[in-house]
Amino acid sequence: MKKMTKEELQKLKEGWGKEKKNWIRVGYSSCGIAAGADEVYNTLREEISKRNINIEIKKCGCVGMCYAEPLVEVNVEGAPRVYYGKVDKDIAAKIVERHVSGKMLLNDRIYDVKVNS
Amino acid sequence: MEKTVFIKDTDGGTKDRTREFYTEFINQLRERKLEDKIQVVRVADVGVYNQGVVMRLLPDNFLYGQLEMANIPALIDESVVPGKRIDHLTCHHISKQMKIVLRNCGVIDPEDIEDYIAHDGYQALAKVLTEYTPEKVIEEMKASGLRGRGGAGYPTWLKWKFTREVKSDEKYVICNGDEGDPGAYMDRSVLEGDPHTVIEGMVIAAYVVGATQGYFYIRAEYPLAVDRIQKAIAQAYDYGLLGKNILGSSFSLDVDVRLGAGAFVCGEETALLASVEGKRGYPHPRPPYPAVKGLWNHPTVINNVETLANISSIMLKGGKWFSGIGTETSKGTKVFAVTGKVKNSGLVEVPMGTTLREIVFDIGGGVLNDKKIKAVQTGGPSGGVIPEDFHNIPVGYENLQKLGSIMGSGGMIVMDETDCMVDIAKFYLRFCVDESCGKCAPCRIGGTQLLNILEKISEGTAHLDDLKKMRKISFAMQKASLCGLGQTASNPVLSTMSFFEEEYKTHVVDKKCPSRRCSRLFSYSIIQEKCVKCGACYRNCPVNAISGSRESGYKISENACIRCNRCFEVCKFNAIDRG
Repeated sequence: MKKMTKEELQKLKEGWGKEKKNWIRVGYSSCGIAAGADEVYNTLREEISKRNINIEIKKCGCVGMCYAEPLVEVNVEGAPRVYYGKVDKDIAAKIVERHVSGKMLLNDRIYDVKVNS
Repeated sequence: MEKTVFIKDTDGGTKDRTREFYTEFINQLRERKLEDKIQVVRVADVGVYNQGVVMRLLPDNFLYGQLEMANIPALIDESVVPGKRIDHLTCHHISKQMKIVLRNCGVIDPEDIEDYIAHDGYQALAKVLTEYTPEKVIEEMKASGLRGRGGAGYPTWLKWKFTREVKSDEKYVICNGDEGDPGAYMDRSVLEGDPHTVIEGMVIAAYVVGATQGYFYIRAEYPLAVDRIQKAIAQAYDYGLLGKNILGSSFSLDVDVRLGAGAFVCGEETALLASVEGKRGYPHPRPPYPAVKGLWNHPTVINNVETLANISSIMLKGGKWFSGIGTETSKGTKVFAVTGKVKNSGLVEVPMGTTLREIVFDIGGGVLNDKKIKAVQTGGPSGGVIPEDFHNIPVGYENLQKLGSIMGSGGMIVMDETDCMVDIAKFYLRFCVDESCGKCAPCRIGGTQLLNILEKISEGTAHLDDLKKMRKISFAMQKASLCGLGQTASNPVLSTMSFFEEEYKTHVVDKKCPSRRCSRLFSYSIIQEKCVKCGACYRNCPVNAISGSRESGYKISENACIRCNRCFEVCKFNAIDRG
């Protein structure tokens, strides 16, 4: 990337466009990694490629709910945007199977719900 | 699925009714053949506490509390299906959090500069470089009322103005990321979750004061934060946001990272300067302040991570917007790391003026195991404890100071009835004694002597005179120590002594520890009348200090006992005495 000017900065910002429709975010700060975010992230990746699903998955910082790490935030069209907490390998697989593919939320694992404003 | 219903029983301590309610709700939906249209989910946390069974309906976003089974038909027929709110069941809840510093944490990929740019990143810098003179930025900062988030609360605009006014060929900006208070990790999270916002804040600070070189001073114990900030700096250089002619302007700035070498005192600004220069991290007296004679004797601005993370929002939204948040003297938001005996330990960002009770109970979910709260410790080893009676006081620099504590960098440790205040004072004081650099006598000798007396108190060998002596030594340390570490090291002692004097006296006079923490002041024994000889204590004792058999009964050997409290916890018949 070459050095930017102010105009190029604006272009880059707009080029990113609107938020992608389907995505998963994994908390990947010290708190998340210590709680096992690595394994969760890898499982999510595997499950998604196994099922050939088109969804963006990215590593993010700490959202503040350190007690519930590893945290996985899921936004899939047709289902509410939620945070799953204390996720392990098995739950990560279930998130892909039920929530991402089937649009059915998992019981007892949701720690926060994003309310659209 | 057209709608989603979230259910959670938010009462702690009583039987969890979530499952019952959930099953009944689904049954009633089935009766109405609605189960394919409405999804019911049990959740682990619904964001409100002690409101009975709570239900949230999306996408309508209705929140109902104190629900009973009998409410279910009405909820379905009058609210879920027609999308109308039932007023008398509505739970009025407004989120007490407000995210300015943490706005991007958990939202963007911290290792991708473009993600930051897509979230308004570097817009503030572009605006400042093209539209604002340094004076205009200072004016905006003055209007915002932002004060240093590292602890002392010095107005940021004033610091910048002083540094700007000093004439010098070279000036520096330093970001203080040497976060060392036990239990505090706000800066780490910001550096790990949104490193670019700190860089952007630093570039703006450098532009204002006229610096050409910036340093991130980050403690070596934060390897991930160091790694992410280094990646972010490299990306910013690539994109022309650092280095020569930033964004095509005439302003240039180089930025580098310096690692802290593991000493708490290096977070103190004069010691930090010595450390960045490659010297031993010794503090030196002020004045001259770093604004006049800082790094290599050049004017230097030192700002905390959280302070710098606030800058870009202030530049974009204006100082007036920022000063609209918070209290009279404390503006904006503050990030706290809430830890200790609290259910939801983690980071919270609240507007200044939020009360401790709101932070611990409404956001933190209350005390672990539903025990009684005793105090909240703020400000780390330089702060103090705030007992329950004062938890309704709005959080702000002055208010906490009046209570003998400080805002500090934002650590907040919740303590319950099982925490002994002498023990707490001992913990913090030992930390300061360990971390004292030894340069000045009041801190080096005073701290050790204070700790000796505290040891005596917790062993039951102290006299009432010792309490007076402690006050005297503390006072001397406050007045005569060279730097902030020594001046404030006795704060936890003074603060616990003033709020919990009775507890100290119980230790000294009665030789008892009411919280059963000071192990020399109590011993375990078995109350033979209550004992049913089940042997649970015998099997669970980790050091075999309990002898006997199911026939003869059991006995605890006081000498072998390590006072781990295990027998007390496992006994179902209250047959263990801790006198």
